[in-house]
Amino acid sequence: MNKYYSTKMSIFVFAAPALLLFTVFCVYPLFPEIWMSLHNHDGFRNLGFVGLDNYKDMLSSSSFWLAHKNTYLIVGISVLIGLPLSLMLALFMDVQNPRFRRIFKTSAMFPAILSVTVVSQIWVSFYDPNWGLFNTILKSIGLESWTHSWLTERKTVMPSIGLSFLWQYIGLNAMLFYAGIKTIPKNYYEAALIDGANFVQVCIRITIPLLQDITKYVLILSTLGSMAFYAQVRVMTAGGPGDTSRTVVYQMYYTAFGTSEFGKGTAIAVIFILECLLISFLIQRFVAREKLEF
Amino acid sequence: MKTISRVFWLLISCTFLFPLYWMITMSFKSKAEAYSNPYGIPHNWDWGNFGDALSQYHFFKYLQNSFIYTIGTIVVTLAAGSMLAYCLSRMQWRFSAMTLFYVSLGLIVPIEVVLIPLFQLVKLLHIKDSYLGLVLPYSGFAIASCVLMLYAFLRSLPKELEEAACMDGANVYQTFQKIILPIIMPALVTQCVLLFMRIWNEFPLAFVIASKDDFRPLTVGLLDFFVSVGVSDWGLIGASMLLSSLPTIIVYMLGNEKIENALTAGAILK
Repeated sequence: MNKYYSTKMSIFVFAAPALLLFTVFCVYPLFPEIWMSLHNHDGFRNLGFVGLDNYKDMLSSSSFWLAHKNTYLIVGISVLIGLPLSLMLALFMDVQNPRFRRIFKTSAMFPAILSVTVVSQIWVSFYDPNWGLFNTILKSIGLESWTHSWLTERKTVMPSIGLSFLWQYIGLNAMLFYAGIKTIPKNYYEAALIDGANFVQVCIRITIPLLQDITKYVLILSTLGSMAFYAQVRVMTAGGPGDTSRTVVYQMYYTAFGTSEFGKGTAIAVIFILECLLISFLIQRFVAREKLEF
Repeated sequence: MKTISRVFWLLISCTFLFPLYWMITMSFKSKAEAYSNPYGIPHNWDWGNFGDALSQYHFFKYLQNSFIYTIGTIVVTLAAGSMLAYCLSRMQWRFSAMTLFYVSLGLIVPIEVVLIPLFQLVKLLHIKDSYLGLVLPYSGFAIASCVLMLYAFLRSLPKELEEAACMDGANVYQTFQKIILPIIMPALVTQCVLLFMRIWNEFPLAFVIASKDDFRPLTVGLLDFFVSVGVSDWGLIGASMLLSSLPTIIVYMLGNEKIENALTAGAILK
């Protein structure tokens, strides 16, 4: 049968549309990206070959490094705080009764289905210095001195944006972990319970180690997702105050479309693609290298 | 002890739902009440915000655009993706393994990093101010995960059904359409949900490419509306947010279990 179906014609008809789309829109753009990064380009005209000058300029500009600091702060928040919290939510979800779990799941997933624009704007209101939720709460419990103008102060702006991001996706990640917990065979737990292990011991000794495949998956998703962090910044602060809250993708966007330096913008992009590749490689290489079989 | 933990978890659930409550109540508050009473139940329920939002905010146009982008991308991606997945899992050809590897590379590059060349490419192809300007790039980027998932699904299916069809003299196109597509329907539905969530809420590329108001999806149109209103009229902002979120909220209410299964399918299917 396979021979009969595998004519040159049928293979071409079945493979060509997807491969064409993928190649033209996903792979091909990498070439003009590299080409443009080696030229002085204003978006319309090529103003001459400049070699690695764009890269040198970017690597020596302070905005570039500030943007990196911000991006990796978001990556850090979502990996170091987001992952453990969502794993904890998932572990507790597992021991609740089904009806309660249903309510919890539905509400925890809810933020993830809203659009970034809506969620970010809601948080803009929560951070409002005069009537925002955070300052209102702080004032009502007498901590007036802790109030901030969260999104316009240099020190608070990035963590504040990070918190909204954390809130939006923590429930979704918990769902992914929970889906993983459900795939662990029950007899593993029975053995532990006979030995008299308590809930915390079961989590640490059995559930978490057996979740390594899912942990890796969530780790990759949330690392790459937060590397590309951009829309929240666009809506909440537009990169401000000044360039304090620009992430790498924002800086790239701003350099190209804001100052018409497409060459420099693409240089940022090329450096950043290499970082994404390196990070995916490191995760693949060092986290949970062997697949578990139950 | 059990009650305490229940209360604690209910409180956490409320944290996730609070913004929804806030959005709904805010949209019924007048401009003045939004400031004097930002978190309580509205004293007088003011429907005016919705009227104002509908007249100033091009909700229906953006809604229509979002639907066109989302449905267009789903149709193109599923059609092209399922064919390639079938081709890779069932047909015998020399570069099959290499092609699979090539396509899987698409998972690593986030769409945001090629924003600039994509913008140039779309201009070059003269599809910038048209629906294709977003549908084609979205599909190109969605192909990788779609093909890999359908490929894994097809690999797990026995080949007997197709063999029977083949005996009956059906050609490959008929077999694909009549036998394969119905069998992989569950996986297609899952992909459909995933793509919907992804494209409906996509922001960065739409922000760059759909620069003409006529082609903006909800996410970008809404931001534009916020900027035009400024931060003075939160009732109006609340109403426009609620209107824009209604389609997803309704979809979520109708099928949250399906959505949940689809979102987690990718994580456990490997």
